Amino acid sequence: MNQSGLHARGRDMFGLCCLPGECVLQRAVLVRKKLSPKEGGGWLSGTLFCTHFRVAFVPQDSPRPDDNADPVLLGDHDVALASIEKVVAVGPLRTKLVTPSSSLKFTPEELILYCRDLRVLCFLFDRLTPDTQAVEITYTIAKTYHPLKPGTILSFQNAALGSIEMKQFLSNRRRDSGMNWFESSGDWEQELERTGATGWRVSSVNDRFEMSTSLSRFNVVPQKVLDTELKKTFAHFNEGRIPRWVWRHPHGSDLLRMASFQNNIYHEKDDIRNLELILFGGQSQCIVVDLGDEMPSPADLQLAHTRLRTLCLGDISSSVSVPDDKWLSSLEGTHWLDYIRCCLRKAAEVACLLRRGHLTVVLQEPEDRDMNCVVSSLVQVMCDQHCRTVAGFQALVQKEWVVAGHRFLSRINYHRDSDKEEAPIFLLFLDCVWQLWAQFPARFQLTEDFLLALHDSLHLPLFSTFLANCQRERCRRSQNLPQSYTPVNGLRELPRGSVEEPVDPPYPPVWDWALQYSTQRRALFTQPVCQPSTPAPVLNGNFNTNLGPNWISDGVPGSVFLLSRSLFSCPSNLLPWRSGGGSVSYRKSHRRAPSSESLPALERLIKACGQPDPLQDIHDPHQPLIPLLLGPCVRIWRNCYLRGALHAQAFTHPMSSNARHPVERLASEVEHLRERLAQASVGRPPNRKRHEHRRLDSNLNQNTNNGTFLFSSSSSSSSSSSSSSSSSSSSSSRASQQESPSRFSARPPAAARYRDGGGKHTFLFGHQGEPQSSQRYAPCPGAKLPKNSGPSGAKTH
Amino acid sequence: MASAPIPAYSPSPLENSSSQNASRENLKMELLADVALLPGEERIIDKDLIYMCPFNGALKGKVFITNYRLYFRSTDTESTVTLDVPLGNISRIEKMGGASSRGENSYGLDITCKDMRNLRFALKQEGHSRRDLFGEIFKYAFPLSHGQPLFAFLSQEKFEENGWNVYKPMDEYRRQGLPNERWRISFINSNYELCDTYPTILVVPFKATEEDLRRVATFRSRCRIPVLSWIHRDNQAVIMRCSQPLVGMSGKRNKDDERYLDIIREANGTTKLTIYDARPNVNAVANKATGGGYEGDDAYQNAELVFLDIHNIHVMRESLKKLKDIVYPNVEESHWLSSLESTHWLEHIKLVLSGAIQVADKVSSGNSVVVHCSDGWDRTAQLTSLSMLMLDSYFRTFRGFQVLLEKEWIGFGHKFASRIGHGDKNHADQDRSPIFLQFIDCVWQMTKQFPTAFEFNEHFLITVLDHLYSCRFGTFLYNCESVRENYNVRAKTVSLWSLINSSTSIYMNPFYTAESSHVLYPVASMRHLELWVNYYIRWNPRIRHQLPLTLALSPQQTHTRPASLSGFTAGTQGLTNKPHACNLKMINI
Repeated sequence: MNQSGLHARGRDMFGLCCLPGECVLQRAVLVRKKLSPKEGGGWLSGTLFCTHFRVAFVPQDSPRPDDNADPVLLGDHDVALASIEKVVAVGPLRTKLVTPSSSLKFTPEELILYCRDLRVLCFLFDRLTPDTQAVEITYTIAKTYHPLKPGTILSFQNAALGSIEMKQFLSNRRRDSGMNWFESSGDWEQELERTGATGWRVSSVNDRFEMSTSLSRFNVVPQKVLDTELKKTFAHFNEGRIPRWVWRHPHGSDLLRMASFQNNIYHEKDDIRNLELILFGGQSQCIVVDLGDEMPSPADLQLAHTRLRTLCLGDISSSVSVPDDKWLSSLEGTHWLDYIRCCLRKAAEVACLLRRGHLTVVLQEPEDRDMNCVVSSLVQVMCDQHCRTVAGFQALVQKEWVVAGHRFLSRINYHRDSDKEEAPIFLLFLDCVWQLWAQFPARFQLTEDFLLALHDSLHLPLFSTFLANCQRERCRRSQNLPQSYTPVNGLRELPRGSVEEPVDPPYPPVWDWALQYSTQRRALFTQPVCQPSTPAPVLNGNFNTNLGPNWISDGVPGSVFLLSRSLFSCPSNLLPWRSGGGSVSYRKSHRRAPSSESLPALERLIKACGQPDPLQDIHDPHQPLIPLLLGPCVRIWRNCYLRGALHAQAFTHPMSSNARHPVERLASEVEHLRERLAQASVGRPPNRKRHEHRRLDSNLNQNTNNGTFLFSSSSSSSSSSSSSSSSSSSSSSRASQQESPSRFSARPPAAARYRDGGGKHTFLFGHQGEPQSSQRYAPCPGAKLPKNSGPSGAKTH
Repeated sequence: MASAPIPAYSPSPLENSSSQNASRENLKMELLADVALLPGEERIIDKDLIYMCPFNGALKGKVFITNYRLYFRSTDTESTVTLDVPLGNISRIEKMGGASSRGENSYGLDITCKDMRNLRFALKQEGHSRRDLFGEIFKYAFPLSHGQPLFAFLSQEKFEENGWNVYKPMDEYRRQGLPNERWRISFINSNYELCDTYPTILVVPFKATEEDLRRVATFRSRCRIPVLSWIHRDNQAVIMRCSQPLVGMSGKRNKDDERYLDIIREANGTTKLTIYDARPNVNAVANKATGGGYEGDDAYQNAELVFLDIHNIHVMRESLKKLKDIVYPNVEESHWLSSLESTHWLEHIKLVLSGAIQVADKVSSGNSVVVHCSDGWDRTAQLTSLSMLMLDSYFRTFRGFQVLLEKEWIGFGHKFASRIGHGDKNHADQDRSPIFLQFIDCVWQMTKQFPTAFEFNEHFLITVLDHLYSCRFGTFLYNCESVRENYNVRAKTVSLWSLINSSTSIYMNPFYTAESSHVLYPVASMRHLELWVNYYIRWNPRIRHQLPLTLALSPQQTHTRPASLSGFTAGTQGLTNKPHACNLKMINI
């Protein structure tokens, strides 16, 4: 195979639709790919390619892609070279880890790609695959995949996005206008309006990143504070990360976040007034939630995640695998689930506090760039159903992570130059969201597939979203940076636009899913059932009606409490300026230490969140999601961490193993449909309804494994809400699309998803001492036999 | 115990308003006013006492004992806690504290239930206040120890459908395509003469004469000869079940038994018959000392023997005991996963499942198998029924699963009476063991891995388990068919399937997709097995429970609960935790 490649966009003769400028380096024919359980299990025949950007697999008889369609970076069966972590060749007698420098002394029968995102791809070469092809493609992949290190990332990025056509294509792409990007002041105004927050305004005092380099250009502060006053407060906080408003609870409390105080600074009287104004907003009380010492440190998380990866991936080349009977304690030993629980608990506590109304809850973390992101966004996922839609969730990540300056670049460590900084903070957050999803699947519009897509994208160094540590860096790259001045805290920056710097390709945001995923895959990102509409925001934040009378009285206006380790206190040095001598003269600082009677009331609130209310109506769409945190309730995200483990692929059923609450899903769905029926019968305009039906229908094929749709369009108009009638109609509609268990190899991948396991299946018996005679792959009848009948079964032990 | 938890949110409009209202209206309520007595149920005694709720602390209230249940209702005006426990559920009742013991609430009763919970009641110390209560509970919870009939024989319940008609052996064999030219129906056991723990209708190889069967019976423990359980429609491979051969220390052989197994092998041209011995190898060897053993290589030339390493009833009982320790009343917090691991409960589940997978795989690839353990009524029943569940989609239907239980468990003599100890006071009986529970857990694991493959839902499985203990129905009573016939169970008691099949909708899996001919192989790996939280930890109010669908969907129904309760006690059992939940007080802040 030559390296000439195809420079124009075009199709390889074996059906690979290349990106502009993408070169096919090597191909192998008659390869079979092992399908994951979610794809329906079994094997799929086709052609394997290695380009200088990806390893691609094109199934036989796959429909001709439309040549005029927009380029999609990765097909359904592809993996980007940058995602590959390890290449393992399996021969008749041995397995070998193939590195760029190693030589292969046997012809591989099987090729296993271990990926950073915890996928494991397994390809089987056929007897009729020319030996040279099998060897060459293994070599080529091993040589061209990018062990992450400084320098290789750029060439990978260029391979994917660097061609002129691609650059042009990307620069012409429209941003998704359906979500809030939080990049303009209008975006923030919109959020204030959406949440019904009053008393706050958008300040552009940091428009040129002069006040704080890591904060966003626009920050929301109390209306009472003028920009000139505001400017003086930046110096009082680490990195200038002042308290900013991020969200208002429907009950009228406000959520803020900030970095730690700078103690070594003299607090002038006027500063103090402003500082307190900012902390209190318009509220009478303020609770500072300290995330500094009781949350896992980035180093803890990194260690836990590394252990978890090793545990879950297994690795047939190293043969170090945890015996099955020690799985549970090994999993516990990673502490990953403990950290998940810790974050969820903290977020639940904050969510409970916010329910009280009339206060501000300020999340404080020394740097305000890691755990504050996790907790703040989790609180919103729990309390704000808008954040459980795809658009809302993406906006949330923009707001609390991207624009707020989470150090994606250092934490992900794409360039292998910040090993000490590397920590899976964002993955932790995704896992926490998954836990919420798993406990309340019916309350999310987004699905597990969406979370998985985001999880996997994080490992692709292609997206502007993750390729910077703060908004300022992002702006610099896209050359939109306004005239820059020396930052206030003296951080030195390289002179802008230095000529030596290679021009990076324009990075798209990760939210441009059409670049990565086919329409079919993207359709799985949302539930087929429409969510109930968001309640209209309550202006003035006076929604809270269940305040006890004693609450108003026991809270001395101006009280500040500290929540740390689930306990409230009001330490005198909480606000550094209050403990100092300067406070004596200042009028507002007569705010006494808060009465201790109010502490128990607060503590009851916190306890309440540890005891999720069993009365809580799971079907009320407006209740916050307070997760259960008991040992058995926080579990491993199997479809993410265990999807690569070879034994997991024994699933022959397309349904995920831990779809938690089918009944809950069903119930809420029936509820929705009933509501809709009720609406229809009162004579709502039929337009919307028809539209929703169409949506159900269009999802019928794509979303079969969700099992969430119930009614065919014909039956939904007439069906009663009783479960028996609904189940019968669902089974009939599903039965009609059941496919005969014929050869799956001749079927396009999308259709193969719904195979209920055709023919034989492989599985792994769990324990060591068992006879292995019965393990085998069963080739589909008529398919050509692989050279080795049972390559991986015996090795996965 | 923690003080009363605070509800974080307004009470659910569905569940609790009704029961709260009810409690206010009927504060001085009539006996069991909110639960209709079952036909045939009679009041025995009632008493004011304190329920020491492990979750909500001490609750004053009144307990009512009938000949069927223990019913407790708290007198708390704010909200009400109720307990509704069939007396059959009680495994042990003890007095705690004495007349002189100090400490608040130290004098009372401690009741151990078979469904993973304990109940403690405290009474006044004066005047032997607990004596009569203890006596009555003891008498009605263990009627067989007092020469009294089980409640199932007193019940006058009537249902639309007669559940005893669910299973007709001939119909089931006919469904499987039997008899055919290789297999015949034998009535040799019609009077339980061949084997008193087998059913009357047996399917045996066509070539084996009645005389052969009798001679084989002499060589099999308790005369439980290899008989057909299931036949593969396409490849004619069969699952045979039996007990261990009586090899003994001397290594006895029996030509008839050897020939009989060879006939089985020949029936579909299997080259090597696979014999699955469910036990660990060492246990099988040890059994030789008591006259049992396993099929030796030289005696059975055309057979291969595989040990499945499943442990015996005593190991399973201890494992479940450990599990209870970590989930009731409080869930082990700090090291949950390693505590769970140390119970080995999931590991036993895994071994049972993977054994069944091997059986199913063998059969679906065209080889006949023989499955046995020691006596062929515990592990054997687990293995055959699970592999049949994997192989035959009929058994995954609502009715089919009932047939499976009737056939493989009830018909072939799983010793329910000994394993559960219905109406028997001897709580420490070494014959008790949660074998059937373990099987249902395996089924549940399969339903989790194949959510659309089973027509019934989790609520159905829990209902079956609840009535395994309740003694309200005749279905699970006694050890085998012959005894059941002696007591005339079919005529004198109601079948559980009468209840279930008269209101099927709450037991149905809405995601069920009818399909056939797929063999389901679950993943038997610790990585993919889960603890059945909704069963084992269901009494803990901190675990969110799912409502049965109809309850969740129709608020009206809760108002008619007294009426509907008699219709489905599953509700009473499964939902007892909800009144519990009502106990939560709103705290004004």
